[in-house]
Amino acid sequence: MKVRGKHAIYSLVLLVAGFIISYSFQYTSQADKRPTNDQWKREDQLRTSILSLQRENRELQNELEDAQTVVNDMEEKIATQEKRSFNMVEEVKKLRKVVGEVGVEGPGIRVELEDSSYIPETENPNDYIVHEEHIRKVIHELYVTGAETIAINGQRISKTSFINCVGPVVNVDGVKHPAPFVITAIGDSDVLWNSLNLSGNVTDQLVDDGVEVKMKRESSIEIPPFINREG
Amino acid sequence: MWLPVLGLLIGLLLGFMSEIRIPDEYTSYLSIAVLAALDTLFGGIRAQLQKTFDDQVFITGFFFNILLAAGLAFLGVHLGVDLYLAAIFAFGVRLFNNIAVIRRLILSKNTKLEATERKNL
Repeated sequence: MKVRGKHAIYSLVLLVAGFIISYSFQYTSQADKRPTNDQWKREDQLRTSILSLQRENRELQNELEDAQTVVNDMEEKIATQEKRSFNMVEEVKKLRKVVGEVGVEGPGIRVELEDSSYIPETENPNDYIVHEEHIRKVIHELYVTGAETIAINGQRISKTSFINCVGPVVNVDGVKHPAPFVITAIGDSDVLWNSLNLSGNVTDQLVDDGVEVKMKRESSIEIPPFINREG
Repeated sequence: MWLPVLGLLIGLLLGFMSEIRIPDEYTSYLSIAVLAALDTLFGGIRAQLQKTFDDQVFITGFFFNILLAAGLAFLGVHLGVDLYLAAIFAFGVRLFNNIAVIRRLILSKNTKLEATERKNL
C-alpha cells in the first residue's frame, strides 16, 4: 500500500512534468509556426498587391499615352483651325476697315476747302463759297486715284453716304457741316497729291470757282468708324 | 510500476490536446517551469542511481522549484531585471551536472558489470 501511494505521487509528478513539457513544446511549435505562416502570407499578399499595382500602373500609362496622342491630334487640329480662323480674322479686320466699321489710321492727304475770303461787292456771294459739288468732286477724285478711306470734318464717308447742300452748310449723312471743310483721305499721299494737282484738274477747277484750297500730306491720319445715322 | 508511466503519458497527451493560449509575456514562465521540472526529474533519477533518493525531497523539490522559478521570473518582470535568465542559468547548469553524473554512474555500473562478467568467465 505504501508503495502504491508512492507510485501515485510519482505519477502525479510525472503527469505535471509531462503536461508542462508537452504543453510548452506544443505552444512554442505553434507560436513558431503561426507568425512565420502569417509573415509568409503577408509577404505573398504584398507581392501580389505590388504586382497588381504594377499592372494597373502599366495599364494607366498606356491609357495616358493614348490620351496624349488624342490630345496631340486635337491640338494639331485646333492649331490648323486657329491658323485658318486667324487668317479669317485678319480678313475680317481688313474688310471691316474697308467697310468702315472700325477706325483706320494711316498716311494720307488732307484737303481743306474754305469759302473765299474776298467776295467782290458786285458779284453774287454764292459763287464764292464752297458747294456740295466741290466736295463731291474732291471725293470722287480721291476715290478714283485710290484713296482707301475718306472723311469730311472727321466724319467718315461710306458707300451709302450722301452729301447735299442746305443753305450755307453742307449736309453729310444728316450732319450739317459749316465751312471750312476738311477732307481727309488715307492712301498713297503722293499719288493723291499729284492727281489733285494735275493742271486743269480738281484743284485748279476749285480755285477757278473761288474756293480756297489748302492741301497737306500727312504721315498719319486717324479716321473714326462710320456711324450709320439712318439705322 | 506502470502508474507513473501512465501519468506521464496522460500528462503529455493533455499538454498536446490543450488549446489554451497564454499571452506572449508569460512564455518565459513556461520555459522556466519546463526547466525546473526537467531539473527535478533528472535530479531524482540521479539520486535514485546514487541511492540517496528521498521521495519527500523529490516531490517538494519538484513543485517548489517550479514555483520558485516562476516567482523569480515574475519578480524579474516587475523589477525590469531579467531574473528568469538567472533561473535558466542555474537550472541549466544543474541539468547538465545531473545528466553528467547520471552518465558517469551508468558507465561505471556497466564497467563493473563487465568486470564481474569477465571474472565469471
